Amino acid sequence: MGLLRSLTALACSGLAGGFSVMALSAQTATTPADLVLKNATVMTVTHGTLEHASVWVHNGKIAGVGTTVSAPAGAMVVDVTGKYVTPGIIDPHSHSALGNDVNEATSPVTPSMMMIDAFTNTDKALYQALAGGVTTELLLHGSANMIGGQAVVIKNKFGLDRDSMLFPNAPRSIKFASGENPKRVYGSRGIVPSTRMGNFEVMREAFEDAKHYMATWDAYNDKVAKGDKTAVAPKVDLKLEALADVLRGKIYVQIHCYRADEFLTEEALAKEYGYKIRAFHHALEMYKVGDKIAPTGTGIATFADWWGFKDEAWDAIPWNAVMSMREGVRVALKSDSNDYVRRLNQEAGKMVHYGGATEEEALRMITLNAAWIIGVDDKVGSIDVGKDGDLVIWNTDPLSTYARTEKVYIDGDLFFDSSIAGFGTPHFHGVMSDAGFSGADDEIGDGEGAR
Amino acid sequence: MTMRNSATALLGLAVMATCGLAVAQAPVGPNLTSTADEQTIAIIGGKLLTVSHGTIENGTVILQYGKIAAVGTPATVKIPTGATIIDAKGKTVYPGLFDSESHLGLFEVGSDANARDLVETADEIEPQMHVYDAFHAETERIPVQRINGVTNALISPEPADSLPGQDSVIQLYGRDRDEMFISKDAALSMNFMGDVRRRGGPGGGGKFPGTRMGVASQLRQTFLDAQAYEASLKGDKKGPAPKRDLKLEALLPYLHGEKLVVLSCEEGYEVEVAMGIAKEFHLKVALNHLTHTQDVLDKIASYHVPVIVGPIYDAPMANERYDAVFSLPAELAKRGVTVAISTGGEGMADSRNLPYAAGYAVAYGLPYDEALKSITLTPATIFGLGDKLGSLDVGKTANVVIANGDPLDVRTNVEQVFIDGIAVPMVSRQTKLRDEYAPLVKGGMKQ
Repeated sequence: MGLLRSLTALACSGLAGGFSVMALSAQTATTPADLVLKNATVMTVTHGTLEHASVWVHNGKIAGVGTTVSAPAGAMVVDVTGKYVTPGIIDPHSHSALGNDVNEATSPVTPSMMMIDAFTNTDKALYQALAGGVTTELLLHGSANMIGGQAVVIKNKFGLDRDSMLFPNAPRSIKFASGENPKRVYGSRGIVPSTRMGNFEVMREAFEDAKHYMATWDAYNDKVAKGDKTAVAPKVDLKLEALADVLRGKIYVQIHCYRADEFLTEEALAKEYGYKIRAFHHALEMYKVGDKIAPTGTGIATFADWWGFKDEAWDAIPWNAVMSMREGVRVALKSDSNDYVRRLNQEAGKMVHYGGATEEEALRMITLNAAWIIGVDDKVGSIDVGKDGDLVIWNTDPLSTYARTEKVYIDGDLFFDSSIAGFGTPHFHGVMSDAGFSGADDEIGDGEGAR
Repeated sequence: MTMRNSATALLGLAVMATCGLAVAQAPVGPNLTSTADEQTIAIIGGKLLTVSHGTIENGTVILQYGKIAAVGTPATVKIPTGATIIDAKGKTVYPGLFDSESHLGLFEVGSDANARDLVETADEIEPQMHVYDAFHAETERIPVQRINGVTNALISPEPADSLPGQDSVIQLYGRDRDEMFISKDAALSMNFMGDVRRRGGPGGGGKFPGTRMGVASQLRQTFLDAQAYEASLKGDKKGPAPKRDLKLEALLPYLHGEKLVVLSCEEGYEVEVAMGIAKEFHLKVALNHLTHTQDVLDKIASYHVPVIVGPIYDAPMANERYDAVFSLPAELAKRGVTVAISTGGEGMADSRNLPYAAGYAVAYGLPYDEALKSITLTPATIFGLGDKLGSLDVGKTANVVIANGDPLDVRTNVEQVFIDGIAVPMVSRQTKLRDEYAPLVKGGMKQ
């Protein structure tokens, strides 16, 4: 390791562009102890866009950023003059790499489903997302169920084994959904819910079960605490255990819903049972009630300009994200798609067009705010000292149509380099799988592509 | 001018004022009159992207009687007396965009089956279907697309059959369908794609055709039947005329090579099979939907047919590089192929995003001028409208767009669209919702 690293660093420092050498380091897949991206336009997200600035990554963490950063001896220096550097792009709503196992659509309440059990780390969708600069994704259960499964958070270290792609110590998230999808899936089978009344009744029943379960355990624990040796432990129920953790505030609640009335209903229900909602996903009508949702602290993960694919998306407008932001809501953009995940930077660029977001505001929607929704904003989402060395080099302004991803680093390690022939993946040399799922949330086998 | 007209004119003016365009008094048509106005418009001071003859800085465009009356510089173009002057200083002026594949007017809310007229699926062979019979001129979807600069589109049935019907070209403005269609039955849709492999899916589910052999054989038989039908018409003229066969009759202009067949294939081997059939029957072809064709690019060039790429966002297969499809327009253009870019009319592919697809092709190697042409003059030419649409040239239909920057960039805002020389209200169902809720926004909405 050490020898290889210094060899590459040595060779690299002798080259202006260092591209062929990057290819060498790619093949050896060596993470340099010190990496310096030198002389770029650095979009930090938190403290402005810095011209002629450098970013120093030490042992996988950002150690310095600015115009006065100089490379320590032995550092791998990549001259990125004329290029742009941003934090890795973050997708807070994806169903990539789950094969056809997105929806356990056999019951409207399935909180013990763990998406990690379906995670397919060789899916080509991850590679294509990586080539679009995406370094972190929240892989969610679909929206067939009122209460779906628990998400897995990944770092897009495509080419490594499954466990090496898990985001270390990421918070747990669970997927809820309301509206047309659960109505359609269960209504068509003649079971509740087939209406929005049914939607929320199912939720209340589930939480009543969970409360009762918690009370049963509390009673048992009380007895044990008092030294009762005859106390019999209740059965551990994975489903109710998960719901109990929601009520205990241990799991972030991510809710798929579209309409303004549903945001209000969901908030009322959360208040009724004492949990907090981390984010509404899709949230295409947030512009109508942003002023009322802002005080709750709930964020949104929304589309840039999708609309009209079903009734509950008929009032969608492309100004939703910027209007909601200006109404005080924390806004992220997301893909919900194996296609759009490859070009979230352009979706962010549309925010300049639709509502006049600043470039920093637009970029924040696919970095820091997306990280917040997942609960990893202390580790990723901006170029700040101490954060993970997840960085993207772009040929030009990433919010323009003409932006191409040139290199992607995760924890300071190179995972994508467009100058490498073939896939451009230093760590991946195997066979990709094609999960066959388009990646859209609600394609529950109906082929209509309704999200 | 009726009262309705003047009310809309006022609305139009207000919208234009917020866009920062200095407008004295432009003819503004609602959906109720789209005929050429008697007024003359002079767009001055803008950067003209003519498409046909380069860029003109500080250019002047005169729109008169629904046509482009003059294009040039202040030195070469005299502004007619009484013209409405629009100051486009600092703006970009370009011809309206043309989406080579869309299904506008054939559906409304995506999931609403009652409003969906996308394709008949009872049979593979339905060339007697005409999209203009289903077209819903008042769809809310059209204003959404046109206020981003899309003025024309090919409307085709969804590619679910081998021969799903005939396509037509629309202007995205007009009081009814008759005013919007500018070329009826402009082309025949023909599909030879993997996902059009059959009734009941691969294997056929018991219904023919269940394989690509079946699809190919059925197409050949259909064209042979049409030829036989035509021969029968020329036969014995005594006695009553034979009953018209609408299905086979519909194919005749295409078998004569008089009209264009838009032939969709995705993979290289599909292109080769389908082009074999096309050659056998002397069809005049434009290839469409090409996606996984990197292995046959030279062969495609050798066909000397135009190619429509769309959507450029189709996902590469697991054994392809990430940019295999993004770079397709550039690779084809490099080989001398005439390339148009479409949104592909699928999924979330709104026609309003057409310029960004072309911009993506630029990012992956297509020269800028070719890209702009691929969504203007090239599709117009492919569909036989090259003398009327697609460039800023004297005599062409006055479909003109003014934007605050590069039309292919996602950050650019379209400020005014003219169709048939009429300043289209920059209003859609979406802008109305925006404006209705804008008071909630601190500081208001700027654009």
